[in-house]
Amino acid sequence: MHRLDSLRQAVRELLDAGEVDGVLALRADHGGTVPHLFQSGDDLSDLALWPKFPMPSTVDLLLSMEPEAKLGVVIRGCDERGLVEMAKRNQVDLARLTLLGVACLPDEVAYCPCSKPYPSEITVGEPLEGVVDPRVSEHAQLGRAERLAFWTHQFAKCFKCYACRDVCPQCFCEDCVLENDLWVERGVLAPPFPSFHLIRALHTVGKCIGCHECELSCPADIPLTILYALLRQDAETMFGYVPGASIEDEPPLVIAGVT
Amino acid sequence: MSEDFEPRIIGFLCNWCSYAGADAAGTSRMAYPSNLRVVRVMCSGRVSPELVLRTFREGADGVLVLGCHIGDCHYTDGNHRTAKRIPVLRKLLSYVGIDPARLRLAWVSSSEAQRFTQVVSEFTETVRQLGPLELKGKA
Repeated sequence: MHRLDSLRQAVRELLDAGEVDGVLALRADHGGTVPHLFQSGDDLSDLALWPKFPMPSTVDLLLSMEPEAKLGVVIRGCDERGLVEMAKRNQVDLARLTLLGVACLPDEVAYCPCSKPYPSEITVGEPLEGVVDPRVSEHAQLGRAERLAFWTHQFAKCFKCYACRDVCPQCFCEDCVLENDLWVERGVLAPPFPSFHLIRALHTVGKCIGCHECELSCPADIPLTILYALLRQDAETMFGYVPGASIEDEPPLVIAGVT
Repeated sequence: MSEDFEPRIIGFLCNWCSYAGADAAGTSRMAYPSNLRVVRVMCSGRVSPELVLRTFREGADGVLVLGCHIGDCHYTDGNHRTAKRIPVLRKLLSYVGIDPARLRLAWVSSSEAQRFTQVVSEFTETVRQLGPLELKGKA
């Protein structure tokens, strides 16, 4: 059966079982997709999977708007990792969620290079091998002056739309340092170097799960995920920490203890 | 590199150990390079990555972060954060083409006046060799 048909069937079964108030999934809309809460009796024909959309932030929004609701959620590998990191920081209550896991297709994995393009429990699809973004090893070949030239050029394109932060499932601070005049002056374009993007990169260490949403949403095409992938490798080497891998592992930068 | 280059170095010293260590060096009349401008902070854990980045942006050639030895933190585990945060920040600096040797973390207790002068002298020489960090006008 086609992946989407299998998913529709799984969503229908979950809704019919009556244990959730609705299933959060994507719906085809104007050639793209939007998150949508499917409820019992709804037509599932416009349920969609691609282009992907970060589910964790929408889950957070729905759970806080409806404090009693139990939700089914259609998730990919990245969504699951995002929910795990959010749960560690009390942003979502996993006990109120029933996850329907989708394994990504080969072209999807190529589109946003992912280390683990499937969730821990797969409802539809077959797990594929993770891939490493080839740009990460290419970056390592650059000399110091080339790296400085590369990144200052890239960051000079930024016009501070804050899309990278707004779309990020791990950016949930009420007061964001990127809006603090002390660190990122208002009314200055592009943000001075080094400030905005390096501050954000540091703040995502131990949280960034590599969903690539920041880069996909960047209107200036800044290759942000190269930096995040490098820092993710470092977090694994230095602290043995892989964001989203396990709900048990404690985020290294916010806990006491020195490795 | 120009012989007369004098690096500008900003040091964030924790109030309880390293600042007292610097004070001890002063009262013992030990000499150390005058390139260091000291900012006293209550804990090395208070030195956020954005603070270090802004310091570089404002023209520092090197940033020195000094705190209590692990186990001696006045706030028990403030320096645990520093111990993990600064190495990650050094990695990031290196990725964007800033020599990570321009950022140094060291532990200096209140009785280690000798060590304080040694760390400052070594770091000043390191940064002098690296030359000025010219970021102004880069973006």
